[in-house]
Amino acid sequence: MAKKNEVTRRQFLNYSLTGVGGFMAAGMLMPMVRFAIDPLLKEGAKQDFVPVMDTSEITNKPVRKEFKIDQVDGWYESEVTQSAWVYKDEKDEIVALSPVCKHLGCTVDWSSNPAYPDQFFCPCHAGRYTKDGMNVPGTPPLAPLDVYNKKVQDGKLYLGKPEPR
Amino acid sequence: MRWTESDIAIYEKEREYVDTAVLPLIPISMTSSVKTTVSMGEYISIISGELERQLKGRLLLMPAFTYLQTENSESRVERLKQVEEELYQGGIKHIITLSADVEWKQSEAQLSSALLWMPAIPLEHMDEQYKMETVSAQVKQVLQFVTNTWQSNTNS
Ligand code: FES
Repeated sequence: MAKKNEVTRRQFLNYSLTGVGGFMAAGMLMPMVRFAIDPLLKEGAKQDFVPVMDTSEITNKPVRKEFKIDQVDGWYESEVTQSAWVYKDEKDEIVALSPVCKHLGCTVDWSSNPAYPDQFFCPCHAGRYTKDGMNVPGTPPLAPLDVYNKKVQDGKLYLGKPEPR
Repeated sequence: MRWTESDIAIYEKEREYVDTAVLPLIPISMTSSVKTTVSMGEYISIISGELERQLKGRLLLMPAFTYLQTENSESRVERLKQVEEELYQGGIKHIITLSADVEWKQSEAQLSSALLWMPAIPLEHMDEQYKMETVSAQVKQVLQFVTNTWQSNTNS
């Protein structure tokens, strides 16, 4: 006679199968979940400052400097080239602007349009910015160029991340 | 813009601004002169990647058009024309094809895209700095070519 609390053969099998099945499912799912959220787990190593040029080379005419940074994009870690327009403004302060056009992301050039020799010019849709990086109203870009975080150490200019204003 | 979901989403929104497709022509061979074939492809990929980075707001970098080194030129041209046709149908106005394979030069007249041929410079043994300079010198010329294509078409 089965007592009330006794587990029948059928129940026992059911329980144990669910248990095993559950383990198997978990075993399969865990790596998948981990894989999916992995990039979130190791929150991006903060972008460090990279030496770009000697401060003594900087004049009041913007020059374009290229440098490489490590970029973590999802699962890929890669070296990407970045560039900056570097010059000294009237107050002798160093300015480093991102050349990425705020319209659709082309690279802007200094003084490349003969009609506007004192402006940054975007070859893609004729966007323009004044020397301080402000977008010229009436051209496609709707925001000023990003400004790099910067620091000067031992006569060298270091650039960090470009920040929107 | 690149051939990725996120870039294409922007493309769909900004179609009127993106009127140019860049199509790298990349040969395949596993049996003869493998290394030269690879170096042509690698060089063209680097240059097209850089081109995209600098002019991403107006051009769409397509997946490469690949062909076997042994494929005869009629058949290559025929296939490439179909791709061109598809792109024009999709609203692209300018197609820039990039190749390091001199054989495309002979077929240039049959194509409606602007073919940009350049010899592959072997980057393998260069140090980083020199590599960057070499590539950016080449890219400068390519940029010039592309912006000229745009200008000659807006003025005409
Ligand atoms: S991307 Fe610069 S004006 Fe459109």
